[in-house]
Amino acid sequence: MSDKTKIYLQPIPIRVWHWLNAFGIITLAVTGVQIRFPETLSFLGSYQTAIRVHNTAGLIVSFSFLIWFFYYATVKSNLDDIYIPNQEDIKHGIVRQLLYYCFWYFLGRPSPFHATPKVKFNPMQKAAYLVVMFMLEPFVIFSGLLLMNVTPLRVLVLMTGGIKFIVALHFLLACSLVAFLCTHVYLATLGATPLSYLKPMIFGWEEVEEHHEVAEEHQDAPRGYRPVRHYPECMQHIPDNQHS
Amino acid sequence: MNRHTNQNWIALFLMALLFLASAAICRAEGFSFGGTEGKSGTCLSCHADPAAVGGKMLIDPARYTRTTHAKIGCPSCHDSMPATHPQGGVPARAECAECHSEIAQQYGSSIHAGKTRCAGCHNPHKVKSPEEISGQEINTMCSNCHDVFKMTATHGQWLPQADLHIRMLPCITCHTGAKSYYISMYIVKGQNGSRFGKQEMASYDELKGLAGGAEIVTLVDKNHDNYISIQELRNFNNDPAHKNLHLQGMMTPETVTHNFEILDNRRNCSFCHTSGSTVMQTSYLTFPGRDGTYQRVAVEKGAILDALYGTPDFYLMGSTKNQNLNRIGLAIICGGLIMPVGHGFLRFLTRKNRERKEHES
Repeated sequence: MSDKTKIYLQPIPIRVWHWLNAFGIITLAVTGVQIRFPETLSFLGSYQTAIRVHNTAGLIVSFSFLIWFFYYATVKSNLDDIYIPNQEDIKHGIVRQLLYYCFWYFLGRPSPFHATPKVKFNPMQKAAYLVVMFMLEPFVIFSGLLLMNVTPLRVLVLMTGGIKFIVALHFLLACSLVAFLCTHVYLATLGATPLSYLKPMIFGWEEVEEHHEVAEEHQDAPRGYRPVRHYPECMQHIPDNQHS
Repeated sequence: MNRHTNQNWIALFLMALLFLASAAICRAEGFSFGGTEGKSGTCLSCHADPAAVGGKMLIDPARYTRTTHAKIGCPSCHDSMPATHPQGGVPARAECAECHSEIAQQYGSSIHAGKTRCAGCHNPHKVKSPEEISGQEINTMCSNCHDVFKMTATHGQWLPQADLHIRMLPCITCHTGAKSYYISMYIVKGQNGSRFGKQEMASYDELKGLAGGAEIVTLVDKNHDNYISIQELRNFNNDPAHKNLHLQGMMTPETVTHNFEILDNRRNCSFCHTSGSTVMQTSYLTFPGRDGTYQRVAVEKGAILDALYGTPDFYLMGSTKNQNLNRIGLAIICGGLIMPVGHGFLRFLTRKNRERKEHES
């Protein structure tokens, strides 16, 4: 037996940040490829246009990064809870999630994790987003800002190893972000339906099945499987007649 | 038949006369392109002496002797000397176009024509060949009239990072129609001995001191073969003794012309930024000489394209990319496609497992 429940998973600042970041990074990737390989690619016409669009998108991504940081670090004060894997995550969670993606998913078993506003990410997501949001993005933004202002920030450019090192760093980090983007978009389709993870990032609310016969359901669960964590205080029951 | 024989004899006679006449001209004082000995001595006896003449009339004999002009001597250009000189009367001004007619013609059709004469940019008594001059010195000539700040502001209306472009490129790279380029590297140092101080050209004396009295080329060219390999460049850059020195590069025209113009193809950036690895293969390292000139030494092909250490402070977006970094970047992106492609494929094959479970629940 199960009821449909709605969880307000993604508040407006996070949705704004996410989509600014998403379109910004896609624009940066497209223009970045033209900037690096201008002799073969010209998506945006002139090289100058590619540079200007790239710089503008870079500033938008930097701005959206500030929104993200400000919201979680100061408004919600739960940056560490959301992004830093805890002991349980490191001991069992990451392996469990890996097993799910590599085996259990193919066998049709349910995900060992469902997102809640307090625990948004599964242990693998936490580890991945920790690297992306605390290393890849800050460094790619920092190196990008240096490359946009080589003359005014000349001292910083020299201190960080010279312009060639910064360009190499910027390029490889950007490639890593693109690689992450491919995985991220694919994993976003692994919900109950291909769009079920996308909806909360657009509307804010996620619709989940609330199972009452938990013990029974877990009878055939593999060893090490932990039941999905529920947080009733942040859930909102949808009356039966409103089920879609 | 006889008529032809006679014509041959006449032609041979005329050629012999021509040979003798040219030999006589070559030996003539003041018109030989040989040495400089005895061609300007009389003039320099006063004009090299600060006590006798001053200001613009003073000529540095060391600098003058190195010029091509010294080989033809003062009277060749200042040819109408009044008998009253130096008490009264001065010789005629040099007419550069008499010898440099092709350049004068180029210059005459350029946007500079009528703005200034040759001497506005070049001092004929100090003039150096393009190989003996640094890119920065070329811009110093331009900045005598074109204020750097104004130029940065004007270019900044359309040119991203105008300040960087104006600092790192000779103006003539964009404002003459040269077709081919090379990268001219030179050694700069941080002002006041600081690694991060304002960059300025390292002088001959400073580099000489650093080289321990040896030729300054040996700071980089360790094996003294008058050729700089990529490894020698890396060693120079990684040497802690050179931590205050940096290699900077300028994209310099291979052939310097005087047809100053505003070229539309430079405005879309692709002229330089898509010039590709062909242009970026050729580079020279330019060392300052004792007499104010520069000596350039050929650098191994591809040094500019070295990933990190060959020229750590020179990068031209789009053109100086390193192929190995491209391959690493591609490998990283391919790594990101493992999940969508590999997992997606297995997901497709096992779709019935999930449909069954969904049906059961």
